[in-house]
Amino acid sequence: MIVEISHFLTILATGLFLLSGLFATFINNTEYISNLIARTYSHAFFFLIASFGLYVWLAATDNFSVLYIASHSNTNLPIFYKISSIWSAHEGSMFLWIVFLAIWGFIFNFKISQSNPLKSLTLGILSLVIVGFLLFLLLTSNPFQTILPIPPINGADINPVLQDPALVIHPPTLYLGYVGFSIPFACAIAFLIKGNSDIEWELMVQKWSIMAWIFLTIGITLGSWWAYYELGWGGYWFWDPVENVALMPWLAATAFIHSLSVSIKSKKLRVWTILLSILVFSLSLFGAFIVRSGIIDSVHSFANDPERGLYLLGFISLIIITSLILFVLRFSKIQSIERIKRFSKESFVSINNIFFGVLIFSVMLGVTYPLIYEYLFNQKISVGAPFYTAIFSPIVLLACIFLIFSVDSKWSRRLKSNLLDLPVVVSTTSSAIITLLFLYFFDINDLYMNLLIFVGFLIILRYMFEIYKLIKFRKYINPFSAIAHMALGLLLISISLNSSLSTERAMSLKIDETVKYKDLSINFQNINLSNGSNYDAIKADLLIQTTDGKSVKLSPEKRRYFTRGQITTETAIHASPIRDIYITIGDQLDDGSWVVNIQLNYLIRWIWFSAILMSFAGILLVITHKKSTFTFKKSIS
Amino acid sequence: MKIIFLTVFLLSANLLSDSIYNFENEEDELRFNTLVKEIRCPKCTSGSLSSSSAPISEDLKLKIVQMIKENKTDEEIKDYISMRFGIDSLYEPEFRTDTYFLWSAPFILLLIALTILFTRRSG
Amino acid sequence: MKLLLKLLILTVPISFLLMFFVLLTEDKSYPGADYDTYNFPKFELETLAGEKIFNSRIEGNDLLLNVWASWCITCRVEHPYLMKLKRQGIPILGLNYKDEREDAIEWLNKYGNPYEDNIYDYKGSLALDLGVTGAPETFLIINGQVVVHYQGEVNEMVWNEVFVPAIEGEGLF
Repeated sequence: MIVEISHFLTILATGLFLLSGLFATFINNTEYISNLIARTYSHAFFFLIASFGLYVWLAATDNFSVLYIASHSNTNLPIFYKISSIWSAHEGSMFLWIVFLAIWGFIFNFKISQSNPLKSLTLGILSLVIVGFLLFLLLTSNPFQTILPIPPINGADINPVLQDPALVIHPPTLYLGYVGFSIPFACAIAFLIKGNSDIEWELMVQKWSIMAWIFLTIGITLGSWWAYYELGWGGYWFWDPVENVALMPWLAATAFIHSLSVSIKSKKLRVWTILLSILVFSLSLFGAFIVRSGIIDSVHSFANDPERGLYLLGFISLIIITSLILFVLRFSKIQSIERIKRFSKESFVSINNIFFGVLIFSVMLGVTYPLIYEYLFNQKISVGAPFYTAIFSPIVLLACIFLIFSVDSKWSRRLKSNLLDLPVVVSTTSSAIITLLFLYFFDINDLYMNLLIFVGFLIILRYMFEIYKLIKFRKYINPFSAIAHMALGLLLISISLNSSLSTERAMSLKIDETVKYKDLSINFQNINLSNGSNYDAIKADLLIQTTDGKSVKLSPEKRRYFTRGQITTETAIHASPIRDIYITIGDQLDDGSWVVNIQLNYLIRWIWFSAILMSFAGILLVITHKKSTFTFKKSIS
Repeated sequence: MKIIFLTVFLLSANLLSDSIYNFENEEDELRFNTLVKEIRCPKCTSGSLSSSSAPISEDLKLKIVQMIKENKTDEEIKDYISMRFGIDSLYEPEFRTDTYFLWSAPFILLLIALTILFTRRSG
Repeated sequence: MKLLLKLLILTVPISFLLMFFVLLTEDKSYPGADYDTYNFPKFELETLAGEKIFNSRIEGNDLLLNVWASWCITCRVEHPYLMKLKRQGIPILGLNYKDEREDAIEWLNKYGNPYEDNIYDYKGSLALDLGVTGAPETFLIINGQVVVHYQGEVNEMVWNEVFVPAIEGEGLF
């Protein structure tokens, strides 16, 4: 009964969103119509939220007459996971995606005043996008299907690997990021349609864009952190197609927010900014398509049929192609008249856009190459981490060098950089010394790793000088931008040191045996049977002692879940700022000893810390964002 | 699954004797750890040998250990595996005629884009 | 210049999306089948019966090599079809993969023996040399060379689509 109501509410919402979209695109924009569009949208939104609310209720109360809920949840799960099971597979996560899309639009509707020339059109475009997705949901991926007449008493189980707090938050955070960029996108399209280049759409969407970027950054970081502690192989990024397909929107989003601030500040790079706003949203949609169409094999992808893939691809193509046609038609209207001065800040951002564009291209190339190759040559090929690191390392390095030069650059003025400036000299020499010290003491062989460390420190020190100048001489620099870039420097350093210093070994240990590994002594105390509510486990107790007397007990497990018979390894991790001690157990050998895998992951916490620091800088920026700060300054040549 | 190993000598001065693979030195172990991340598990949907505990992955790891001890080069080891399990076992696509585009396109694109940008600028 | 840019901005994404349409709708060639040709690797093992067996058994011959084990459930499902192939006169050599000798012999006694001989590959070393990742897998060997490597259960459909074209081309069996 409730599921039918929920289903009906969604259908109703679809109809109302459609109306809202049609009002905006076919009827002239009077004040009455604008209000009508806003109200229709709100009503549609309320119906959708009500529908989703009911659905959450159905999941929370174990209503197994709903096929999706019966397939992904059961009575034994804690309520937290009963609800999160909604987004553990295709239909439900699609539903969540759409709800989030609608929420962003609702907040936009609420916060932007009716007098804004772009508001109604933007809402209309958003509504149509929502309709497209709702039709996809209702027609090909219906979460409201029922099992009748007799519903099962209990549901199936979620994959135990998904029963984890981080994995509960990771998809919603990512989705908030992906769909958040629908706002700048819809605004950009509205701007193009209106054709009036005086409208400052960029200023309108700046806060929204940065917020969406923050969600994306945190979402990806959560995924990386989860993969590290849950999957047992100790890595934090695999360059898996599904990871890559989340990275591409992030790269585009980062380029976009940089280009956006240039367009706001000096009304330049407006063409780039519009193109990037279309690109970010397109890449988000493309990511959804890849993950749900089954076209790429990945442990991460939702199993799906080509029919859904075709619909999604068709819908996405429609959005992308219409946007681009509109863009091309209005191209000359948006182009700025003044040229960009060489090595002005604007110039550096446009160089930045190129670098990010090439990185996006490289990831896309790596993801699609196996597909094309197999199609052309009937041969499978793999493109993995070695390719991506080989491409990213030199390009990121080069981009960072431009970044360092850009710190001195001025808006609309040519850079007059003196290489003998104190900050430059001090930063460069200090970074060089630090790098050489690392090289010497830790025997770091790889040239790229050393260069990344050098550049990382250079960025940090360079920006620290700027912060010093801000505090002491009141020389203006955006402090949050400085923090975010220093976080980037920290990220590069952490990644390099983690890669260069980390070690691992597969050992065999008998009970009561002690072995040495590096500066640790590992005592295999005990191995016991244990269990949880839905699994059996073998738990090993290991006592780890360092040479300076500190000790810690770690207990990795191997679990067998009842419902699916699935076997998982639970890692045992001792985290500290310098390194993680990371342990898993393997099989038992013929001689009675157990395989124990130990990894020492250096500075891995710093990697996520850098990403969180970057997001934090963004959060501070949004909180302190005042429109008056971004008035257009006349260029002084 | 049966693994046939020699018994570990607990009091051995060789620090690597606790490794189940009994490497002779740290370089070998490092080579192994690196190789095992660059080779795909033949039976998994995706994932390297390093991240897989499937029987075939374990067998392959042992074979790699054996080949390292026989002083085979990384190249030879990768060739052995790709000949039997397909070139898609290697996460690093070999640099050949049909992968030139893959490896060079990003850099060529960067070069072209930067050139266009710089030649369009006024003084 | 501007025109070129506009053209690129339209044509590149459109061709890209078209490419995905094509990829989504194409009929994949039979998954699990590999048609690389190579010489059968050298080996020196025993049969299930305990006799020595070498490459000579395979050199110059045309036969099927079927990888199986008593612990492999899908092999049980595949088994009747192998018996059918045997009745058709097709020579099948077995590769008993990571199994216990007694279990394997008992299995054959219980269900029937489609194999002319069985290589006992307890460690799976020959299997590894052949690129075997599990059971069941079947190789078509022509003149001592591996010509087809199929991973998975062989049934009527697989036989007709994967093996028959290779056999007919040679006019065998």
